Amino acid sequence: MDHENDYVIEMLHITKEFPGIKANDDVTIQLRRGEIHALLGENGAGKSTLMSVLFGLYQPEQGEIRKDGKVVKINNPNDATALHIGMVHQHFKLIDVFTVLDNIILGAEDTKMGFVQRKQARAKVEDLSKRYGLAVDLDAKVEDITVGMQQRVEILKMLYRDNEILIFDEPTAVLTPQEIVELMQIMKGLAREGKSILFISHKLNEILEVSDRVSVLRKGRYIGTVNTAETDAASLSRMMVGHDVQLVVDKKPATPGQVVLEVQDLHIPSHLYKHDAVKGVSFQVRSGEIVCIAGIDGNGQSELVFGLTGLEKVSHGKIMLNGVDITHSSVKKHSLAGESHIPEDRHKHGLVLDFTLEENMVLQAYQEPRFQKMGFIRFREIRKYAQRLIKEYDVRSGQGPLTIARSMSGGNQQKAIVGREIDRDLPLLISVQPTRGLDVGAIENIHGQIVAQRDAGKAVLLVSLELDEVMNLSDRILVMYEGEIVGELDPKQTTVEELGLYMAGAKRQGKKEAATA
Amino acid sequence: MNKESFWNKAATRSVLASLIAIVIGMMAGSIIILIVGLTNPALGIKGAWEGIRLVFAGLFSTGRSASGSLTFGFNGTTFGNMLFRAMPLMMTGLSVALGNKAGLFNIGAPGQYLAGTAASLYVALSVPTSVLPAWLIWVLAFLCGMLAGALWGSIPGVLKAYLNINEVLACIMTNWIAANAVTWIFEGSNLRNVLEGTKTGYIYKTSTVMHDVVIDGVNSTVGAAVPEGAQVLARRGGVATGKMGLDALFAGSQVNGGIIVAILLVVVIYVILSKTTLGYELKACGANRYAARYAGIQDKRNIVLTMALAGALSGAGAALYYLSGNTEFFWTTYQSLPSEGFNGIPVALLAINHPLGVIFSSVFMSMLSICGQKLTELTAYNEYITDVIISVIVYLSAFMLVIKLWIGKLNNRKAVK
Repeated sequence: MDHENDYVIEMLHITKEFPGIKANDDVTIQLRRGEIHALLGENGAGKSTLMSVLFGLYQPEQGEIRKDGKVVKINNPNDATALHIGMVHQHFKLIDVFTVLDNIILGAEDTKMGFVQRKQARAKVEDLSKRYGLAVDLDAKVEDITVGMQQRVEILKMLYRDNEILIFDEPTAVLTPQEIVELMQIMKGLAREGKSILFISHKLNEILEVSDRVSVLRKGRYIGTVNTAETDAASLSRMMVGHDVQLVVDKKPATPGQVVLEVQDLHIPSHLYKHDAVKGVSFQVRSGEIVCIAGIDGNGQSELVFGLTGLEKVSHGKIMLNGVDITHSSVKKHSLAGESHIPEDRHKHGLVLDFTLEENMVLQAYQEPRFQKMGFIRFREIRKYAQRLIKEYDVRSGQGPLTIARSMSGGNQQKAIVGREIDRDLPLLISVQPTRGLDVGAIENIHGQIVAQRDAGKAVLLVSLELDEVMNLSDRILVMYEGEIVGELDPKQTTVEELGLYMAGAKRQGKKEAATA
Repeated sequence: MNKESFWNKAATRSVLASLIAIVIGMMAGSIIILIVGLTNPALGIKGAWEGIRLVFAGLFSTGRSASGSLTFGFNGTTFGNMLFRAMPLMMTGLSVALGNKAGLFNIGAPGQYLAGTAASLYVALSVPTSVLPAWLIWVLAFLCGMLAGALWGSIPGVLKAYLNINEVLACIMTNWIAANAVTWIFEGSNLRNVLEGTKTGYIYKTSTVMHDVVIDGVNSTVGAAVPEGAQVLARRGGVATGKMGLDALFAGSQVNGGIIVAILLVVVIYVILSKTTLGYELKACGANRYAARYAGIQDKRNIVLTMALAGALSGAGAALYYLSGNTEFFWTTYQSLPSEGFNGIPVALLAINHPLGVIFSSVFMSMLSICGQKLTELTAYNEYITDVIISVIVYLSAFMLVIKLWIGKLNNRKAVK
């Protein structure tokens, strides 16, 4: 058997249907031993479904899975584990208060008379850690270590279980640029040692850098597999979306008008009320400009937005919207004052998942006279409105306005929220990670919508963890680090590397400088 | 609409799931009757067959013929009694269902029911009919019953909304506080029926007419007949729900206009939940409190409001039951909570929290209790067999989702074929 056809896992002609939608339609993925195989596709293209099939969470209607050439039946995740398939999920599955070592061995502990054999486990983990260059502090608690190190813990967890097939589900979403470079090195090292890697991502540059081959899915269908060396970003995105995409946001220079949002010395307590999550932040957002808050996750951006939208109480400072003080107003008054909000967590805040799409489309607007009369809902108007938004914002779903939001793909859920918020046509749009977990097609769409809002004279406050998004979309960048704004940058005059240094806290502008910049 | 889509509809599946739960419950009851019959020589297979027939068709039982065999036919009295007993269950079931729709488990229905009982009885029996006409006292008593229930329900609501105390804990505690408070309130009152010797444990029926009189300078309370020479200070009682023509339909039964009021309340709640912005808010809070807050809906206010509404419904159930004029309230409740309150939970479960479904599930529950009564009257079995059936149904209600999935699969398989 030559190396070319030495497949460790083959998923052949997989078809998986859900009511109203074919999530996988005759998809074939063949993973060679020792390769890094990228799986690329739009949201709702069926990547997650395919991986769930591989993990035994779903049973396909048609098709078969082969391991080392033999047909296997994977009925549940335990079967997958027995076949040495491991996965690093997008959201880590770690216990915060346990040590790194305990997290690694959890569920696969060697015991002697009921006692955990930590010494042997430690030796094994240390050996793995050295061999693959995965530096971790085994005795630190997970809550105390960085996100990058947590990811290394997840990788060690897979290696500790002697997994041969490693699946990485969008692993770079939460990392800083420096950490991403490290991860790429680690993945290459793993492949050299003979591990086979499935790498799920929509970031074309990462795929191009690290993978050997790329398989592309589009709307549940298998489009093709190409050698990475023989392709480029433009042709990959064409395969994924089906037409040419604009990878760089096309926008005119901003023409800022009058101040819409003014924040003065804002302090917001953290959820645990031990200390302030936001410490004395001041800035302005003018009409016709996109101001971006950049920073690594957990540096107070979420709390800042909760404070600005009234979801969290402000302990000190002042928020002015078009000259009106809304510091201590309710969420509804924020909204009425002219604030629309694309929330960070679409499942927690953005949607009522058990409601239909049309009910979700009027989550704030249900009280407006056009949708109710003396407290009675005007269902026909809501249906018409929802149908218009679905069409205008290209929200795809199984049953149109009557689709239960839970059953929609993440990208379409997000498009629904973006459509709803933009259509409210308010002077300030607060947009938190509007493209998180979306594919290039949807990102292009949403970025276009946001720029159009700016050009229509809206003030846009963007919070993003994606450096590409920050650099491409914003007119001004404010970097947040540990609850403070440590720098104000012009995207045209700065580099990703410099931005990274500010985000990591390695560099900061003086307070005076930041205020006047 | 074609037939296949009808069978695939979520609503159809839900109703089917409930019906399957009911059938399995009835069959479980039948099996127990069979086992008991076969092991008891006095009953035998013949007795068991009689028992099974009564479980399924007790509602239509008309007793035994001269030859000793069971006879069946339409019986207006039984039918009316079934509706009468369904009335409080309908209200507590609606109360629990409303809570569930808004994401709150209202296990406090017994306490709210007791609060409603105490308030409505107190008003109906102590406001003199010489001051206000009886019908106005009825209305007043009914509203006070609702109000008391609402207040009692809003206590766990406030605790949940503002202090984040689990409503189940608070409800259970307020249930027992209500039980003790009600006992204490009536203990000191002159509303206890002390005239009929053995019946001291009961509060007067609201239809009882009483007179506060002065005889030879001594104050006392007498019944409808006023002794000669007595000076009447006030006339009380004589308050009862109107029959609204239902006595003509169901002769000899306890049913009255209360059932119409109950069904009206069900319809009102149904309209609120499915047609109004308030219902939209309550359901949004129940389905995702964070999204509701994000949308500017006042989730805390809605929690209190839901619990108050739920309490008002339980209170209304109690008021309708005791204001009927032919029911007596056993006032020492400090050791037990009214079963009407807790039975609201299976009623709501069986109705899958749909207000209109509550009408049917409450009538079904009271039909079962009528069947149990017939079992006791006509055979050597006792009525507790029906409790077994109810518990099996409640147990299966927890598996409703599984049953629904199973129906869905069955449909798909048919579609493939």
